[in-house]
Amino acid sequence: MKLKILPTHLREKKRYLAFQAISEIPLERDDVISLILGASGDLYGAYGTSKLGLWVVKFWKYPSSENNMAKGIIRCNRDETKSARAVIPTITRFKGKRVVFQTLGISGTIKGAITNFIKLKTADE
Amino acid sequence: MFYDLHIHGNPKLALQAQKMGYCGVSLVLNSKDYNDKSALIQDVKSFKSHLQHDTNFQISLGLEIQAKNPADLKKQVRKFRDKVDVVLVHGGDLKINRAATEDPRVDILSHPYRNRYDGGINHVLAVKAAENKVSMEINLKYFLLTRPTQRYRVLSHFRQIVKLHRKYKFPIVITSDADSIYDLRHPRDVIALASCFGMTNDEAITSLSSTPQYILTRNDIRDRTILPGVRLINNGG
Repeated sequence: MKLKILPTHLREKKRYLAFQAISEIPLERDDVISLILGASGDLYGAYGTSKLGLWVVKFWKYPSSENNMAKGIIRCNRDETKSARAVIPTITRFKGKRVVFQTLGISGTIKGAITNFIKLKTADE
Repeated sequence: MFYDLHIHGNPKLALQAQKMGYCGVSLVLNSKDYNDKSALIQDVKSFKSHLQHDTNFQISLGLEIQAKNPADLKKQVRKFRDKVDVVLVHGGDLKINRAATEDPRVDILSHPYRNRYDGGINHVLAVKAAENKVSMEINLKYFLLTRPTQRYRVLSHFRQIVKLHRKYKFPIVITSDADSIYDLRHPRDVIALASCFGMTNDEAITSLSSTPQYILTRNDIRDRTILPGVRLINNGG
């Protein structure tokens, strides 16, 4: 039997962080999830990470000759936006190669994050 | 208005920093590299003149002094003070830390906690640093390149420095110490990260914007300053 979904006032309130990543080797969505949750585990431990409610909801890749750029959206709890944002600069390495994550902005909806920060059409400049 | 006063001398990196939202950087050379005037410094200067139309972005030249002992430090500070905009001292050794905080010509004491088991400064050095306006540097690269299992130690050093900063009011700057694009961080992310070592939002913004700005303006008028607070004004009369 499937659980009934929670009424709106009991659901977790969310915020969406738009990010971009630059890496030496190409990243997949699963890699990003493990990188972010791993970095959060290193910084806050199991207790802190459980409060953040981190998840990667969208992911786009922009491979180029010099470096592999990727953009995406991370979901986190509304009350923990600042702590979730602090996780993003602590990611430095992926499989022994350099990688850097930068936040583009914070939005209340996925649509808002895409139109204001990801800017799908102009992203390949 | 965010500044990063410790980026290693590559003008292209300055452009990346500008894209990321910094409005001023200082490209830092090593004191041993300074002699090769031809390559790096000319490069930076030509880049600077190339950038003139963009008035908002400031590029200044810095120098990190690596001294063997306090006497050597004094000698090098005297030699380089007039040649560059920002003078940093490579800290870590207790004697060097002490000599750097006692010298008003030094702008920034870089990573006083480097390779140490404590924060590298105590209440005595903190009082001296506040008197001479020597900033302590919180070096993000040192934090980020430490192994995750050892990061707690770096965070506790930062926390100790912030604690002394609240009591003795010496300035703090947060810098990236970047030498590639993989070390640059977005200033808003840095502010969020600063809450991990106990800095409030306002303190983090101050240490990224107004403290570096103060260092740069102080160095502009340094040759006209007679005593702290007394300045020579040339009005032609």
